[in-house]
Amino acid sequence: MILLEINNRIIEETLTLKFESASNGNKPEAVEVTFADFDGVLYHISNPNGDKTKVLVSISLKFYKELQEHGADELLKRIYGNLLVPAEDGYNVSLLFDLEAIPANREDVVHQAGMLKRNCFASVFEKYFAFQEEGREGEQRAVVHYRDDETMYVEAKKDRVTVVFSTVFKDDDDVIIGKVFMQEFKEGRRASHTAPQVLFSHREPPLELKDTDAAVGDNIGYITFVLFPRHTNANTRENTINLIHTFRDYLHYHIKCSKAYIHTRMRAKTSDFLKVLNRARPDAEKKEMKTISGKTFTR
Amino acid sequence: MVFNPIGGSNVTHSTEKLRISKETPRIYWPIRHGIIEDWDLMEKFMEQVIFKYLRAEPEDHFLMMSFLHHSLFFDVICLPQTDPPLNTTENREYLDEIMFETFNIPGLYIAVQNTSCSGIGSFLDVQAGGERTLTGIANDSGDGVTHAIPAEDYVIGSCIKHIPVAGRDITYFIQQLLRERGSTKPPFELERYCYICPDIVKEFTKYDMDPGKRIKMYKGINAISKNEFHIDIGYERFLGPEIFFLPEFANPDFIQPISDVVDEIIQTCSIDVRRPLHKNIVLSGGSTMFRDFGRHLQRDLKRVVDSRLQLSEELSGGRIK
Repeated sequence: MILLEINNRIIEETLTLKFESASNGNKPEAVEVTFADFDGVLYHISNPNGDKTKVLVSISLKFYKELQEHGADELLKRIYGNLLVPAEDGYNVSLLFDLEAIPANREDVVHQAGMLKRNCFASVFEKYFAFQEEGREGEQRAVVHYRDDETMYVEAKKDRVTVVFSTVFKDDDDVIIGKVFMQEFKEGRRASHTAPQVLFSHREPPLELKDTDAAVGDNIGYITFVLFPRHTNANTRENTINLIHTFRDYLHYHIKCSKAYIHTRMRAKTSDFLKVLNRARPDAEKKEMKTISGKTFTR
Repeated sequence: MVFNPIGGSNVTHSTEKLRISKETPRIYWPIRHGIIEDWDLMEKFMEQVIFKYLRAEPEDHFLMMSFLHHSLFFDVICLPQTDPPLNTTENREYLDEIMFETFNIPGLYIAVQNTSCSGIGSFLDVQAGGERTLTGIANDSGDGVTHAIPAEDYVIGSCIKHIPVAGRDITYFIQQLLRERGSTKPPFELERYCYICPDIVKEFTKYDMDPGKRIKMYKGINAISKNEFHIDIGYERFLGPEIFFLPEFANPDFIQPISDVVDEIIQTCSIDVRRPLHKNIVLSGGSTMFRDFGRHLQRDLKRVVDSRLQLSEELSGGRIK
């Protein structure tokens, strides 16, 4: 699995099951699940007021306020339309599905529901992509604290949009593997002309952020993506947002996979060495021995 | 694997999902009878579980690995079916190594002899009448192995029994029967068609009298030629799960039915805990989800216990009832 999945399987599977059983005419069963996603996001699927024919899907993001500043509500209204309802207590966004009025394009609906987290993020990017298209420079940078000690900055210029991720490596080994990984990303333009420019800065924030209170530390890294119009235009916009909003999780996932791969090779090498060792036999020593009658011989 | 959030906040992972097939269609089974044998695949599997299914960053969450299934807490991930009661310390250490070094887990608790999650999880879930006790027997049957574990607040470790019959054995057994009948491509995922019947002989006659209603057709798609193929599943529907109660069908070495094993466990436990144990027998794990499994087990167990009580009544000349 090279790319992390952007949609949430649990939402999709639950909704698909519910829709199917409703359209087969089975009696709807109650549903009550709370589960989590990356970046401290919590979901809650339940029956509102005990009504088994309706399914309420809610999401809570700790940083939703920041997303709201950038138009998250409007974007969600645009995508989900009537499904959007006032948020449940303790959650930020809620979608209501009526099992007795299943929409015709049910697979699309389920797919969009699975992308709820992605759509929450999408508003920030779309706003700044639009700035860049219109050529508006000098707009305030977007700051989203999507994790406790990690932040994402988005800024639009006339001909590009820069997205900066700050990330914390909890383990020192991770720092090294992360650096090597980002080295490959930096040189991504060798592989494909259409790749965006990527910069990596260990410990210190990049120049764009030098006047902010961005954190400094031994195990902090900053990754800058420079997105050009070819990435942000209407055709490729969706894909860009899909890939970039989970970048931090993607990076850490691959660091862990690299470690697992190193372990695999270590195990293979160890078993090879063991095989060689087991084949070894000590040389038979030549000893001089004497019999009772005084003859000597060697064995 | 059933990742089933419906019907409560239970997350069920069975070792079925560990069939990771590669390009050349060979299937690898990293866990055999509950013990991890292939660590490379195990690491890869953990990656998938954590990042693809649970979608959690391991650095944020403490991890509890134990035996029976339980729900996903906010700051604790519980991973089931990863530590059978008879696991070696070395294996557990190896597991620790992987968790800490590869995944940077901040803290780890491996429920040794399932003192926590297993008993608590299953018992709390199945308490009718509002009363919560931690005394009972947990029968966990998954894909690789079945365990029956008695607990009285803490697990009674000396009385744990393991039964070498589980989901995979049922699958093999049914596939063998189908192969003997002449079908060429034995299918997987037969659990949808199987159930437990009260009386085998009567089932056979029921099937013979009304084959149209009883025999179900399995539609599968050949992975290579993409053609559809059909297989009729008849007697296997009820013979399969029956091997829990008549294990000699599938395994010539083991002939004790599960009800006898449970009864034996209860008899080996101390006498004052036997009644509470009888009162609370909990089934968990995918292979116990066959229809009427509980009823069959209850009926058989009742028979055994009743006959023992009757014997003691006779021997005492009617004084002990």
